[in-house]
Amino acid sequence: MRKYLIRDGDVISGAAIAALGVYIISVAAKWDYMSIEGPGPGFFPIWYGIAMVVLSLALIGSKYLKPAVAVEREPIDWPGFSRAFATWLGFVVCAALLKPLGFTISFALLCFFLVAYVFRRPLRVALITAVVSSIAFYLVFSVALNVSLPTGLVGF
Amino acid sequence: MDVINGLAHGFGVALMPVNLMWCFVGCFLGTIVGILPGLGPAATIAMLMPLTYGMGPASGIIMLAGIYYGAKYGGSTTSILLNMPGESSSVVTCLDGYQMARRGRAGAALGIAAIASFIAGSFGIFALTLVAPPIAAFALSFSSPEYFALMFLGLALVVLLSGDSLIKGLIALLIGLWLTSIGTDLFTTQSRFTFGQSSLLGGVDFMIVAIGVFAIAEVLSSIKAGEETQVLPVPKGLRNLLPSMAELKACRFAFANGSITGFIIGVLPGAGSSIASFISYGIEKAVSKHPEKFGTGIPEGVAAPEGANNADTGGALVPLLTLGIPGGGTTAILLSALVLWGVKPGPLMMQDSPDVFWGLVASLYIGNVMLLVLNLPMVPLFAQILRIPVYILHPLIFGISIIGAYSVSSNLFDIGLLAGFGLLGYVMSVLKYPVSPLILGFVLGDAMERALRQSLMMSQGELSILVSRPISAAMLVIAVLILLSPLLPRFRKLRRDAIAEEG
Amino acid sequence: MLARKMAPAGLALALAVAGTPAAHAEFRPTKTLELVVHSGPGGGNDILGRALIAAIEDAKLSPVRIQINNKVGGGGASAAAYLAEKKGDPNVIGVFTSVWVTNPLAQAEANVGIRELTPISMLVLEPAVIVVRADSPYKTMKDLIEGAKANPGKLKQSGGSVLARDAVVRQVLMSSTGARWAFISFPSGGERISALLGGHVDMMVIEPAEAGELIRSGKLRALAQVTDERLEQFKEIPTLKEAGIDVPTVPQPRGILGPPGMPADAVAYYEELLAKAAKSPGWQKFVRDNLLQSVVLKSKETGAFLADYESQMRAILTQAGVKLVR
Repeated sequence: MRKYLIRDGDVISGAAIAALGVYIISVAAKWDYMSIEGPGPGFFPIWYGIAMVVLSLALIGSKYLKPAVAVEREPIDWPGFSRAFATWLGFVVCAALLKPLGFTISFALLCFFLVAYVFRRPLRVALITAVVSSIAFYLVFSVALNVSLPTGLVGF
Repeated sequence: MDVINGLAHGFGVALMPVNLMWCFVGCFLGTIVGILPGLGPAATIAMLMPLTYGMGPASGIIMLAGIYYGAKYGGSTTSILLNMPGESSSVVTCLDGYQMARRGRAGAALGIAAIASFIAGSFGIFALTLVAPPIAAFALSFSSPEYFALMFLGLALVVLLSGDSLIKGLIALLIGLWLTSIGTDLFTTQSRFTFGQSSLLGGVDFMIVAIGVFAIAEVLSSIKAGEETQVLPVPKGLRNLLPSMAELKACRFAFANGSITGFIIGVLPGAGSSIASFISYGIEKAVSKHPEKFGTGIPEGVAAPEGANNADTGGALVPLLTLGIPGGGTTAILLSALVLWGVKPGPLMMQDSPDVFWGLVASLYIGNVMLLVLNLPMVPLFAQILRIPVYILHPLIFGISIIGAYSVSSNLFDIGLLAGFGLLGYVMSVLKYPVSPLILGFVLGDAMERALRQSLMMSQGELSILVSRPISAAMLVIAVLILLSPLLPRFRKLRRDAIAEEG
Repeated sequence: MLARKMAPAGLALALAVAGTPAAHAEFRPTKTLELVVHSGPGGGNDILGRALIAAIEDAKLSPVRIQINNKVGGGGASAAAYLAEKKGDPNVIGVFTSVWVTNPLAQAEANVGIRELTPISMLVLEPAVIVVRADSPYKTMKDLIEGAKANPGKLKQSGGSVLARDAVVRQVLMSSTGARWAFISFPSGGERISALLGGHVDMMVIEPAEAGELIRSGKLRALAQVTDERLEQFKEIPTLKEAGIDVPTVPQPRGILGPPGMPADAVAYYEELLAKAAKSPGWQKFVRDNLLQSVVLKSKETGAFLADYESQMRAILTQAGVKLVR
C-alpha cells in the first residue's frame, strides 16, 4: 500500500493536535476555573483544549470513515522537503549563532549556505552574495536607520 | 459649532510652507518606516520627538502624525511583494495582495492599496472633522460586553476564512487562541504556558507570529517547490503596473466597507487596526458574490483591509483629541509629544489650542493627498524588487524577517520563536491547514477572553449581560448567523451528492 | 567638592566588603550608554526614559550618547533579566518602577528580584488621584466608602494588573475601611478611562497627568489625592488623610538602577549625572508637565527605599490574596 501525504498527514497532525489539547487541558486544570470574581485563568484554556481534542478526533475519524476517495495521488516530493528542511535548519543555526557572532556574520553565513548549498550556485556567487548583502544590511539598518541589530562578542 | 471656520483656520496653519514641508517629511518617513519591518511608527516617533521640540506644536504634531499615518500606507508594500507584513495592521493584506503579485498583478495590488488607503484615510479624517464628539460618546458606550460580541463576531468569520476544510480552519483557530494566551494573565498574574521562560511572560508578539507563518513559511514552500528563477512575474508595461478599471470597479464596495469599518473600530480604544482590517476583510467576503475567490488574489481582498487600517487612523485620533485617551502605543506617544509642547489633549483642546487641533486635522487631508502622490509613482519602482533572482531574494527575506522580529523587543529569544512559527506555518501549508484562522484567533482571542471575563466581573457572574445590551446582542446574532451559514449550502450539497449517488 | 569625591570611595569600600569587585579608576563612559526600559515606545517608562535622555543631552551632561533599549515583556521581567545578564557592566542602566518590585514577588518566571540589581538613584514619585465620574452620586471619599459598604461588591474600579499601584491602593483602602468593591483589569490606560467615562465602572485610582484634563473639563471629579501633601496643581483636592482615611500613601516610584555588581565608581558617576540631570530645565519641565514629584535619592537611600517598599508590597499583596512565590 502506498502512502499518501494528505491522508496520513491529517491523521498524524490530528493526533498531534489531540495531544496538544490534552496537554492544554492538563495544565489548565491546575488553574482557577471560576473564582468569586468571575472566570479564572483556567476557564478559556480548558474550553479550547476540549474543542481541540474533539475537532482533531473528528478530523482523524473523518479520514477513516471516508476512505481516501478525494485524495490526490501525488507522490511525496522528498528532495523538495529535504531542501526546505535544510533551509529551515540553516535558519535555526543562524538564529543560534546570533548571540555569539552577531547579526552581520551569522547572516552572511546563512546567505552563503542558502546560495551555495540550497540553490547550488557557484561558491564565488555565494560568497559575493553573502558579503554584499550582509554589508548592505549593516549599512542600511545599523548605520543609516539606527536600528539595533543583534551584536555578538565581536561587537557588530 | 463652526467646523468650517475651524477647518479654514486649520488650512491656514497647515498650508504655511514650513508646515507643508514638515508634513511631507513626516509622510515620507512614515512610508519608509511602514515598508521596513524593522521599524515601527511608534519607535520612530519616539526617536524623532526630541528633534521637534524646537519646531512649535503645530509643525511638530503635523510631522509626527505624518509618520503615524504614512506608515499605514507603506505597510502593505512588503505584504504584497514578499508576503511579509511591514506593520501589524497589514497582515491581512498578505492574504490577497501576495496572491495578486503571484499572478503578475503586483503593480495593480500596490496601486489598489494606495488608492484604498487614500479613500478610506480621507473618509476617516472627514468623519473625524464632522462627528468627533458624538462618535467619541458612542465609543464610550462600548463596554466589555460589546467588545466581547465584536471579538466573537470576528472569530465567527473563521467559517468564511477556512477554505476547503472547516475542521482544519477551526483547529487552526484554536491554535491561535492557545498561542495568544501564552504569557501573564492580566487578572490574576497567573503565568500560562510560559514553560518557565521569562521571555514568554509578556506573551508572543503578533509580528513574530505573522512574519513566521507568512514570510518564512512562504520562503520554505517556494524552496521546496524548487522555484528557481523569479518567484513572481515582474509586471511589464504600464498596464500591468496600475489597477485596471475593472479591478477598481470591483473594489467599490470594499472602499466604503474599509472606510466605515476601519473608522468605527478605530474609535474604540480596545480594538486595534489589525482587528479593523480583519473584520472588514470578513465583511467583504461575507457579502461578496464570489467568496470562494478570496485568498486567490482579488482586488477587494486588498482594498478592504488596506482601507480599514487607514480609516482606523482617523478613528484613533477621535478619543485622543476629544478626550485625551490614547488607543495604542503610537497614539500614546503622540499624546506625550503634545503634552511636552504644553498642549493638553482633552475635551478642552479644541478651544484652548485651535491652531494645533485644526492645523493637525487640515494637515491630515493634505498629508493623505501627498501620500497618494508619493506612493503611486513608487509602485513601478517597488515592483522592480521582484527582479531580484530568487537565490538572493530568499536570503534577503530571512534577513529582513530577523531584523523585524528582533526590533519588537530586542530579544534573541524571539528569533527562535520566529523559526518555530516559520516551521509551523510551513507544516500547516503542506498539510493544507489554512493559516489565516490562526492569525485571526491570535489577534482576537486574547481580547475576547478579557472582554468576557470583564463582563462577568461587571455583572457578578450573570451571563445575561452579554445579550441584554442592544449593540452586543445585535452583534452576537450576526455572529451566530455567520456561524450557521455554511450549514445551509453544505447540507444542500451533501443532499445533492447523495441523490446523485443514488441516481 | 571634597564630600563628593569622598562618597564614592566610601561606597566602594562598603561594596568591596560586600564582595563586589571594587574598581580603582574613576569611571568615565567611553561608549554609547544603554538605558533599558520595560515598555514599548509610548509606554510610561519609555516616555520617562526618553525625557531623561533628552534632558541630559540638552544640558550636555554626558560625554557619550545614551540610547534607549525597549526590553518589553513580562511587566519588567524581561528588562530585569536583561540587566541581570549584564552583570558588572558599567554601560547599562535601567528605569525601574513598582512592577519591578512586585512582579518578582508574584511570578516564578520573573526571577530577578529588585534587590539583586544595583540601585542608583530614585528620580520621581508619581502621585495618584481617586476619581469618579462627574455625575456620580459620590461627592466625597466618605460617600464613596459608605456607598461601597451599602452595596458590598457592587461598586467597580477599573485598573491595570492586580500587582499595579492602583490595585494596591484599593487593597489598602479596603482593609482600612472594611468596604469592598470589585477591581476590573484592563490592559491599557485608554480602556480604563473609557470604562469610567462610559459609566461602566464607578471609580479609578489614576495618575494625575492622565486625569488632569478630564478633571479640568468637568468630566471627572477627584475625591482625594493619594499623597501626603496636596499637590500644587490640585490645591482644592483633599489628601486621603484629610478626607478622613488615614492609610499609608502608596507611591509609584520611578528611578534608575544598574546590573548586579556594578562597579562603585560607575554607580557614583551615575548618581552625580542623575543629580545634575534632575536639576536640568528639561527634566524639571517634564516633571511639571506630568504632575510628578521630583524625589532624588542617592544609591544607598534608593536601595533602602526599595527594600522597604518591597516588604510593604509583600504585606499588602499577601493580604489581597495574591499568591507570592518569593
